[in-house]
Amino acid sequence: MEPDFKDILLFKTNIQTADDKMLIAKVMEKHKIEQWTVDQQDVDCVLRIVSPILKLDDVIQLVSKNGYQCEELT
Amino acid sequence: MRARDLNKVELVKQKAMELLVKIGFEGFTMNKLAKECKISVATLYIYYKDKDDLILQIAMEEAERMSDIMLEDFDPEVSFEVGLRQQWKNRAKCMLENPITAQFLEQLRTSTYQEQVYGTIVNNFKITLGKFMTNAINRGEINPMQLEVYWSVAFAPLYNLVRFHFDGRSIGGKPFILTDKALWGTFELVLKALKK
Repeated sequence: MEPDFKDILLFKTNIQTADDKMLIAKVMEKHKIEQWTVDQQDVDCVLRIVSPILKLDDVIQLVSKNGYQCEELT
Repeated sequence: MRARDLNKVELVKQKAMELLVKIGFEGFTMNKLAKECKISVATLYIYYKDKDDLILQIAMEEAERMSDIMLEDFDPEVSFEVGLRQQWKNRAKCMLENPITAQFLEQLRTSTYQEQVYGTIVNNFKITLGKFMTNAINRGEINPMQLEVYWSVAFAPLYNLVRFHFDGRSIGGKPFILTDKALWGTFELVLKALKK
C-alpha cells in the first residue's frame, strides 16, 4: 500500500558509504524506525523515512547526534 | 491525505524515460530529472524511494502496458496467418506510437534491471505466444522449431525495420522511413518463410 504522503520525511545527508549505512541501520533499529531508505546513488544521499509519529526535528537530531549531516530536503 | 497527482506522475514517468534514453542509466540522476520536470527533488522522493525504485517502477508499469497492447485482440486459437498478422499490427503500433517507451525498454533489456522487470510480467505474454506457436505446429501450418528460432524469423525483421525507422536511416546511412507498404511486404516474406 502507498504510504500517506504527509508521513514521508525527506533529508539531505552525508550517509555515503556502506559502513555509514550500517551504522545508521543500527540507529534506526534501536529507535524502532522500520521504513527507511537512503539513496546512496544520489549526491544528497537522500534519507527517506515513512512514519506517522516522527517529526523532522526528531530525525535531524537523531542523525546529527550520530555524526552525520542531516537537513530537510526541500 | 493529499491525492497522488496523476498528471504529475505521468509527467515524471515520461520525462524519466526520455532522460534515460538520452543519457543512459549511469548518467541519470534524480536532480536532473527534477530539473527536467520543473519540480523539487523532494517531490520525486515522495513518489519513489530512490533511483533504482524509480527506474524499476516505471519499467514495470510500462512493460505491462506494452504487453497489454501487444496482446490486444489476439487469440492464440486463430489460424497462423491471422494470428501473426495481428501480432505484427500490435507490435508495430506498440513501438511506433510509444517510441520513447520502446527505446527505454530495449535499453533495459541489456541492463542489470532486466531480470526484475521481465521475470514476472512477460510470463503471461510468453505463455500466450508459446501456445499460438504450438497450435500452429499441431495444425501442421508450420514446422516444429525452437521458440527462439520461431521468434527470430517471425518478429526480428519487424523489430529491425522499426530500428531503421527510429534511426531515420538504414544500412550505410541511407535515409529510411517505415511505410505500410514496406511493413506488410516484409510480413508476406516472413509468412512465406514460416508457412509450410
